[in-house]
Amino acid sequence: MALLEIDNLVARYGRITALEGISLTVEEGEIVTLIGANGAGKTTTLRAISGLVRPASGAIHFAGRDISRLAPNEIVRAGISHSPEGRHVFPRMTVRENLELGAYTRTSKAEIAEDTARVLEIFPRLGERFEQKAGTMSGGEQQMLAIARAMMSRPRVLLLDEPSLGLSPKLVQTIFAVIRDINARGTTILLIEQNARQALAVAARGYVLEVGTIVHSGPAADLAASEAVRAAYLGGAA
Amino acid sequence: MHFDPTLFAQQLINGLSLGGIYALIALGYTMVYGIIELINFAHGDVYTLGTFFSLAILTLLGVTGVVTGPMLIVVVAVTILGAMILCGLTGVIIERLAYRRLRNAPKLAPLITAIGMSFILENLMLYWKGPSPIPFPAVIPNPEFTLGAVTIQAKQVMVILLAIVLMVVLQAFVYNTKLGKAMRATAQDKDAAQLMGININTTIALTFLIGSALAGAAGFVSGVYYGSTWFFNGFGAGLKAFTAAVLGGIGNLAGAMLGGFLIGLIEAMTTQFIGDQWSNVVVFSVLVIVLIFRPSGLLGEALPNKV
Repeated sequence: MALLEIDNLVARYGRITALEGISLTVEEGEIVTLIGANGAGKTTTLRAISGLVRPASGAIHFAGRDISRLAPNEIVRAGISHSPEGRHVFPRMTVRENLELGAYTRTSKAEIAEDTARVLEIFPRLGERFEQKAGTMSGGEQQMLAIARAMMSRPRVLLLDEPSLGLSPKLVQTIFAVIRDINARGTTILLIEQNARQALAVAARGYVLEVGTIVHSGPAADLAASEAVRAAYLGGAA
Repeated sequence: MHFDPTLFAQQLINGLSLGGIYALIALGYTMVYGIIELINFAHGDVYTLGTFFSLAILTLLGVTGVVTGPMLIVVVAVTILGAMILCGLTGVIIERLAYRRLRNAPKLAPLITAIGMSFILENLMLYWKGPSPIPFPAVIPNPEFTLGAVTIQAKQVMVILLAIVLMVVLQAFVYNTKLGKAMRATAQDKDAAQLMGININTTIALTFLIGSALAGAAGFVSGVYYGSTWFFNGFGAGLKAFTAAVLGGIGNLAGAMLGGFLIGLIEAMTTQFIGDQWSNVVVFSVLVIVLIFRPSGLLGEALPNKV
């Protein structure tokens, strides 16, 4: 059984249907990417998984347990961590406090210290900014903090929403290298990206969302090679 | 009119004790605004309830006048804690019944609900104790100390000390405990706070509990200080305390404290040197002037919330 299994998920905002019955699976240890245009429902999918959006119908199973009716804080405790679109770091708190909040559900001081050291090793810049308020940092630094903070709950599944948005090309490379690294250390990742080319390069499998429906799915390499996907999301040219 | 330094020093003491009460109430306004961006108009009435609850507890204890000796400490502690607990629970119930359901509604809906809550509390208190002023027992002996020509009453010292002690405890809680950090996170970004595993319903309820408990403490102090209360007492005091919170920078704890003391001082000085009837005019003029030059209040942070 897959670690994360979404079955016929429907989500609505008022009268607008954002997801019209999507199904997808993420196996333990995989990187899976969800690509699609703005408004296709990618962010809603992640928000439904982490409990910020209550599904209208359908099921979300995590490690065999239906989590579709759980509150967000219970879902974090179950082992899913979400780095949201737009970073959403706590602006008037320091890097240290943001990371401490990332570990909010945990109690072992020793383990938290160990994980803090680990994320600072991955993002040395955050160590330099440790006592700086997050709201005063650059977009790239905030993005690193958002990812680092999400890792602090030591999740089994990490949901990343547009981690490369608005970053310089050099930083984009860094972020994708980090995503590979986090995955190599054993964390399963579900990744949303505008940058479909990069996302398909890093992922094992992918799903393509179009206005609330999954229109293509398969191994990332196949999607990257598919005419339809290339025309719509990879800028056409080979 | 000529300036008399003795009168000035005297009004300094009077203003600080008046301001201590405003400051304690202002903390509740600023905490609730900080976390759910709601001006909780019912907060002033929770403060009056604090005086009513204190009176009920004193009646239960059989206290009708000044208490002396070790019993004084017991009576004061039991009454303050009792009023704080009862007011705290009242705040939690109000949030649970009235505001929680409206958390995602347009801002006007909870605001109107808060005004409605204020009327409900006022009318409950009217029903409970009637429309007339209600005498409040002196409780603490009130020896006066003289410092030169200035007279300081024991109850004034009590108000100022209590306000400062509660403020220090509150700051320590908000900045040094895990729950305090959860409250600040919830205030800054509710979605992100939930993604950290914080139960924001709990932290918001906790905010109401603490803010209302502080109003309960202020309610006891004001009963002792003024020697009477009535059901409508919280309207004016609440408005002043809210002004204090805005003046200091709404959402900012130290700002609420500063604003409270400032408003108390301005009121006392105006009453002494300009005239009683001008005190509200001066208080609100100062507010307007400060907001023109510092829209986020004296200690309000200008750091962007969203990037």
